[in-house]
Amino acid sequence: MELQDIHYNKAEYVETASGNKVSRQTVLCGSQNIVLHGKVIVQSDAIIRGDLANVRTGRYCIISKRAVLRPPFKKFSKGVAFFPLFMGDHVFVGENSVVSAAMVGSYVYIGNNVVIGRRCVLKDCCYIEDNSVLPPETVVPSFARYAGSPGVCVGEMPECTQELMVDLTRNYYEHFVPAPQ
Amino acid sequence: MALMFQSDVVQYVCTCGQLKPISLMYFCRHCLKLRCGYCVCHEVDSHYCSNCLEILPSAEARLKKHRCQTCFDCPNCLNTLAVRATTVSVRDPDDPNKVNSLKKYYHSCFFCRWTTRDVGLPDQAVQTVSANGWSQKGESNIQRINVLLEYVRLLGMQERHEREQREKKFTPRSRRTFTHHPGLTAAHVRKRAGLPPELPAPSTIRDNLAEFQPAVAKEEVASLPESIFTEELDIDQVTTLTQRLAQPETQPESIVDLIPSCKHLCTKRSQRCRGCEHNVSKPDLNPSSIKFKIQHAASFHVPEVRLVSVQPLIGSKECEIVIVFSNPSQQPTTISFITLEEAEAEAQEHTEVTPDTSVPQGEAPPSLSSLTRSPPVMEEPRPVSIAVTGDVNLPTADVEIVLAPKDDAAEYDDSSDTQQFHDDPQIVVHRRANKASLRLTVIPHADKAGQNCTIGFGFRYTYINRISTPASASFEPQKVQLSSRTFLNCGKIKESQ
Amino acid sequence: MIKTFYEGGMGLTSEKQSVVFDFGVRFTKAGFAGEAAPRCIVRTEVRCSRSGQMRKVFDALNSDEQYDLLVDFIHNLYFRHLLVSPKDRRVVVVESVLCPTAIREMLAKVLFMHFEVSSLLFVPSHVVALSTLGVNTALVVDMGAVETVVIPVHEGVAVLHAWQAQPLAANAVESQIKEMLSEREKSKPSEGFANLTEANIEDIKVRACFVTTLQRTLKAEEGKPCPSPPSVKYLVGPDSHILNISGDIRENSFNVLFQQDADQISVSTMILDAIIKCPIDMRKPLAENILLIGGTSMAIGMGARIKEELEFLSASPQYSERLKIRSFQFHSPPAKGNYTAWLGGAIYGATDFVTIKSLSKEAYLRERKVPDWVSLIHNTYNAGTKRSV
Repeated sequence: MELQDIHYNKAEYVETASGNKVSRQTVLCGSQNIVLHGKVIVQSDAIIRGDLANVRTGRYCIISKRAVLRPPFKKFSKGVAFFPLFMGDHVFVGENSVVSAAMVGSYVYIGNNVVIGRRCVLKDCCYIEDNSVLPPETVVPSFARYAGSPGVCVGEMPECTQELMVDLTRNYYEHFVPAPQ
Repeated sequence: MALMFQSDVVQYVCTCGQLKPISLMYFCRHCLKLRCGYCVCHEVDSHYCSNCLEILPSAEARLKKHRCQTCFDCPNCLNTLAVRATTVSVRDPDDPNKVNSLKKYYHSCFFCRWTTRDVGLPDQAVQTVSANGWSQKGESNIQRINVLLEYVRLLGMQERHEREQREKKFTPRSRRTFTHHPGLTAAHVRKRAGLPPELPAPSTIRDNLAEFQPAVAKEEVASLPESIFTEELDIDQVTTLTQRLAQPETQPESIVDLIPSCKHLCTKRSQRCRGCEHNVSKPDLNPSSIKFKIQHAASFHVPEVRLVSVQPLIGSKECEIVIVFSNPSQQPTTISFITLEEAEAEAQEHTEVTPDTSVPQGEAPPSLSSLTRSPPVMEEPRPVSIAVTGDVNLPTADVEIVLAPKDDAAEYDDSSDTQQFHDDPQIVVHRRANKASLRLTVIPHADKAGQNCTIGFGFRYTYINRISTPASASFEPQKVQLSSRTFLNCGKIKESQ
Repeated sequence: MIKTFYEGGMGLTSEKQSVVFDFGVRFTKAGFAGEAAPRCIVRTEVRCSRSGQMRKVFDALNSDEQYDLLVDFIHNLYFRHLLVSPKDRRVVVVESVLCPTAIREMLAKVLFMHFEVSSLLFVPSHVVALSTLGVNTALVVDMGAVETVVIPVHEGVAVLHAWQAQPLAANAVESQIKEMLSEREKSKPSEGFANLTEANIEDIKVRACFVTTLQRTLKAEEGKPCPSPPSVKYLVGPDSHILNISGDIRENSFNVLFQQDADQISVSTMILDAIIKCPIDMRKPLAENILLIGGTSMAIGMGARIKEELEFLSASPQYSERLKIRSFQFHSPPAKGNYTAWLGGAIYGATDFVTIKSLSKEAYLRERKVPDWVSLIHNTYNAGTKRSV
């Protein structure tokens, strides 16, 4: 079934010139360090911790409700350092998920209630199933499907994952419209 | 949510009879047929490690038993281990008063907190330890197995010897002629004939066999330790079956015997059409690349059907559904509806045209099988295993719906379409770029209330074939009519009042 | 004479190593011929693409479904575990002599028609297990998941009329554990038991239970039981409900394999009966060459218990008249019990026997049948030899 329209409260969301739709009910710390590359949706109660380090997303990313993007840290003998979090284009982050990866590639799907441990690397076109936990520093190769706790590879994604993800995020963006008055 | 997660809403019938969403199908441009993961031939292209994303050439991968030499799995929770560094102070051997600090590395699991230190494995001086750094238990078995292997191999040779002695009298003429060919050694001839290499003399085999010492059974067996009846069992110290089987050779029973195992490699695979041996998909070699050298996904060639909206489905009442057709190709395509039966007949007709290669004609000489690719084998197409639970009123076959070509630039262009199509407004509800929404009426079967309403239809579409066959030297793209069958799951049927 | 392992594995037979499978009801062993251990021992299950649930491969409802499950499962084995292309590669399948013909035929069809393997060889598990020892005569006791099968092998030939098979194996032990647990639950229900899964019971069996000695069992039968071993606290499910595994369960659950039932059959009587069914001159060599294989034979104390049982029973009135053998000797193959049969296949599969005896793809496509010794069509004089062109 084609995606039905998702209505949002027009007063709640801010639409930027580049087409980002960001809810006012979010916590965007250190907003000068956050770059959303256009047509990105950040839904209510999402948290983006730009105060820790730079956070950059590509185009057509969807950050669902109560999701957290938090730059990863690394412990050194002299203390803790935070590293930037990069996210590619057409990435979907499900509800209640915490992403502390160093890099999330393009065309990545992260399900609901997922924990992506610090300094994980998610390559392009991978898929993290709902309720998975990826331990820190996990590398998820392209076209892999990870699930479980600790997350392990349970399958593969089809060759046209890229097209599917483009289609999903574009459709989502197009159907994410203000509620009719 | 979109079709990524609704794989069973719209399904296409593959040439092999399987029902699959179009995203999982391929389209062979040479056979002009749909193929799916089930009816293509999968081949391993390259091996890589999923953690360090390093490619291993096949020969090396085989030698390393398809395991990465630098990445390890935690033996406790099977997660990947991470390398951690520590500094240890070592007393200088020359000057006892001086203390040198040395960097040492050990492996630690970030999930279950297991470390190589837990089982007493020494820290490593280099960051990338090789697997040989840790002693592998069970080595003692390998020697014995080698001896056994040699023994059974000699037995095999002996048997072959006897067999060849028996057959010598009837050596086929064809094989004999090879031996007279100048410049061919005996070993060559054997290889050409698909035979294993020359055997050693029977006497040497016999001598070697005599050297072998078979295993001797013993009276003693491992007895049950007396302590098991009195000592408390700490169940956390006993490995689980999963942990044991992750190390099949040793299968340690106590967690103190667990050692990290080298990570299994992953593969990149290419898919080959079984009908014509052409690749339908071939990935790029680089593990982190998502590009393909060849990718003929069905969704790039075959018009895609999606379900847009459904009116409430009530048994034996007419309900409206809206479907959208989209044209993935760079040329306009014309679509017309046909019934399932017609489409099936067309599909069968198509299969009969291609020569049946499943049974090799006559008996292929066994000698050739080792040198050439064996002829493709195809499983019989299966009947479609889905029951239709609703009738659909299709527009007649002469109603043709032209779909505009896909224009990637149009995605960024919000201006409305200027193209004009002469559509029947009763059928075509809406058009946009390469898509057309159609309205159909469905009558769910009254006796299937509570079940999902499955409807099916066939459609013909025009396809521009850009492959030049060797027979026709001209590069003129051919326009062909193809047909496809789809099944739509429209949701639950409600009870009729 | 001894070559290095890798050369040995591939040198003579063909360029590509043959793949060796041993499909078990519960676990499947897969690897390459000429190697010392299987590459993987995995559950014989596939994840259903529709529901996401694990499905047991041999629990199919009909033959079409069985075919699909096998295709999915073998696809996984090749591309997730063995990591080689199945096409044009030889396959050796270690099968039980009692494997139903339908399953054999289906396996052959899946391997030849779907995976396009170049040749297929079925080897009987009991016979090839002997190639891990280098002997020709042994009494092979295969204790698997569903049943225990005893087959004497004499001079490389299975003495089939003496075979014994009983459902006395892992499943029996596990249902015994479940029964003993539920017995206690009646008086004192616990959260832990309510959340217990099949996998938990298997885990309890593997980690907490052992095979007790015959003396202790006999004493308990006389009504003078020895003090039980300590009990174990076992955590069930994600909420870590505590389940107490009593010493009685730990010690006595495996006894179900040795209690003689109404027909007076236990694992040990099966072994003795198999010996008795053989001609007199075979009996001594068989009793002195017992080989225990299969996952259940790996339970702690299993070998010792079987030996005690055999010595005790052979002297008991039940057998002393019929069998004059009093001593029994056991082999210890260079492998773990659960993959001994696989190793046999791997050793056998690395030799010329594969070239001589395999069913080639061409032959299969011609006949569409797997030769079987029980079928008269394939069992007539000269049937196995290939007609020359």
